[in-house]
Amino acid sequence: MAVAERPTTTRTGTDGLSVRRRGLRSFWPQYAAVSPFYVLFLVFGAFPILFSVYLSFTDWDGIGDIKFVGLQQYAFLLQDSRFWNAVSNTLIIWVISTVPMLFLALVMAFLLHQNIRMKGFYRVAFFIPNVTSMVAMAIVFGSVFSDSFGIVNSALTSLGLPTVAWLSTDWGIKITIAVMVVWRWTGYNAILYLAALQAVPDELYDAAKVDGAGFWRTFFSVTIPMLRPVILFTVITSTIGGLGLFTEPQILFGAANGNGTVGGVNEAGMTIVLYQYNQAFSQLDFGYGSAIAWALFALAAVFAIINWRLLRDRDAVPRVGSRAARRRTKEVAR
Amino acid sequence: MTSPRPGGAPGRPPSRRAVLRAGFAGAAGIPLTAALAGCGQGTSISSNPSELVLWYWNRSIAPSLLQKAAQQIPGTSKRLRADVIGGAFDSKLRTGFAAQAYIPDITAVNSNAALYFPSEDQFVNLDDYGAQDFKDDYYEWKWNLGRTPTGRFLFFPMDTGPTGFFYRSDLFEAAGMPSQPDEVSAAVRTWDDWIAFGKQLRESSDVALAGNAVMVFNQFVNASPQRYFDKDDKPLFHEPGSAIREAWDTAVKAVRAKVTRNLQVENEQNAAWNSGKLGANIEGAWWMKVLSDTAPDLSGKWRIAQQPGLPGNSGGSFLAVPKTSKDPAAALAFARWLTLPENQAQSYNEIQLFPSAPKAFTTGLMADSGGFFGDQDPLAFFSTAAENVPTTFISTYENQTTAFTDQLRVVESAGKDPDQAWDDAVVAVDKLLKKRGVI
Repeated sequence: MAVAERPTTTRTGTDGLSVRRRGLRSFWPQYAAVSPFYVLFLVFGAFPILFSVYLSFTDWDGIGDIKFVGLQQYAFLLQDSRFWNAVSNTLIIWVISTVPMLFLALVMAFLLHQNIRMKGFYRVAFFIPNVTSMVAMAIVFGSVFSDSFGIVNSALTSLGLPTVAWLSTDWGIKITIAVMVVWRWTGYNAILYLAALQAVPDELYDAAKVDGAGFWRTFFSVTIPMLRPVILFTVITSTIGGLGLFTEPQILFGAANGNGTVGGVNEAGMTIVLYQYNQAFSQLDFGYGSAIAWALFALAAVFAIINWRLLRDRDAVPRVGSRAARRRTKEVAR
Repeated sequence: MTSPRPGGAPGRPPSRRAVLRAGFAGAAGIPLTAALAGCGQGTSISSNPSELVLWYWNRSIAPSLLQKAAQQIPGTSKRLRADVIGGAFDSKLRTGFAAQAYIPDITAVNSNAALYFPSEDQFVNLDDYGAQDFKDDYYEWKWNLGRTPTGRFLFFPMDTGPTGFFYRSDLFEAAGMPSQPDEVSAAVRTWDDWIAFGKQLRESSDVALAGNAVMVFNQFVNASPQRYFDKDDKPLFHEPGSAIREAWDTAVKAVRAKVTRNLQVENEQNAAWNSGKLGANIEGAWWMKVLSDTAPDLSGKWRIAQQPGLPGNSGGSFLAVPKTSKDPAAALAFARWLTLPENQAQSYNEIQLFPSAPKAFTTGLMADSGGFFGDQDPLAFFSTAAENVPTTFISTYENQTTAFTDQLRVVESAGKDPDQAWDDAVVAVDKLLKKRGVI
């Protein structure tokens, strides 16, 4: 078949049907070219995902026999107060980190967008936390927020304020983790906002000026609406990051801290992913760990639907300064 | 990076495809095939029949001894290849067992050996190779920790961690308290004495005896003949007067007397020892090294006294032989040679591993502490302590009992009612044990 249908060297590529018929065999170099990704994905992505579906219906310690237990892991999950505590911790930390983070990022981007000196230096400086080693960072934060010897409490004392047991109280732990998230991601989001700000056409500002809009009116009626797609994009990425929060609590309160306080005192810093990791790889309950993973998936799906509803019928998310912006320019000009 | 060549667009003559074909057969095909083929090689890491592969973690075995065994394991015809495994040691070893591939011929196992009880069929019973002949050369309590509940002997003793009461003699003296080891030992014979002693110290000079309540609780349990479960994995903590309840009550008493300092993070504890807010610690012999490394300026100020009650054991590792080992007899010969008294003395001198063979102390080879403990000889202290450590049983289900220490932390740091916390802990642990089918 291959010989008979083999196309000549002068093919034009317009005959779609014959191209389709030639199929796998004559295109194998192309398939081979894209295969490394798919092979790696099948082995390290698809297989573990599917296997974890299966595992969530079983009881397995990682070595012995895999015992099928039906929905028992999920039933246990529903009445497991430690899991629900992890869910609420994750959501609380997400809110108290995302809100200040995006606000600060917007302010930062706005300031960087002004005509200031050493712009390049600030841009790099604000981005550096994002590429700093998380482990080193968690150790530094552990010292900075230390209950009795940290500089935060020293500063509070010198201001005559009462000290806070950052690393051993419910809210202290959550705030410390949130501060780490804010520190790491504010610069990253500021760079995104800055890019969006630079894509806002000057004509809009000029038009606003002509119409007699003041500084704040311009900010809220021109800048914010033009940034809306990017703001939504950063909210989505922060949601993804927030639901998957792991490294910060793991290093601050995890196994590295010789006392085995996983998640900190009263598990106040126990997040969903940390709990999942703890159940699977420390407690060797892979079935339950998988069930937690799928519960997290369900939770993430809920957030995805909310995001999708928010975005539906409106602009696509990451198209900064593209056709959408130009279309608006025209609308405004009209 | 190369710039896109003119031939990069789709729909070029076949010569282009030939290039692609040749390129990808080489670049993508071979490594993938090789990787997949690797999975079928069987269980051994090294295909060389005269080479035994050992897995260990950094500072668990003296490098000079590994070098000797790399030439030849004394008394056998084999050589040792020692692979140092980084973090997540147990996960890596267990992954090998799950896949039945890349399993070492002999492996170090940490003090959490009980983790492997449910998978005991993965290991060789060392009794089958005459391990019992060596029994009398090791501390009995350490030897017994190597035996599973079903009676198989899987874990050969390496090092140990007999515990003692480390303290700052200068701080005790400044507070007008007993400061010589004998006096301190006599003053803290029972836990109640210890708490009274600590209370007086805290009141007179604001020095605490323990970092937090959990440290007191854990060292109480480490020194107790009875722990969480009996040999049939039956939980014991429900019974009134159980060791766990006693440990709990002692820790709570210590909190109330302000003998502990509510330091829940390791950084904080280190800083507190350095600054003198924490003047003592009950810990295994290996803590000598930790202390002299983290607080070298305090050399000559620390001493060691007997802790209340019996000494305990904290830490200490083992050697085990997976059932897929090329030569279990040679692996056992290595374990035996590595833990001969003179070699344990050398391990102590090199990386401060505390011996499991009492005769190591009488070899005269072990180095002294260089005056870190003033005129006190810590080796004499710990070799005596090691004789008195009680024999105990550590169940594989002990890792389900963290609710006790978690709740104890809440009692200390948030002032939760101790009785409520105890009940909550028991409920939480029972729930997990039911899930595991233990009760």
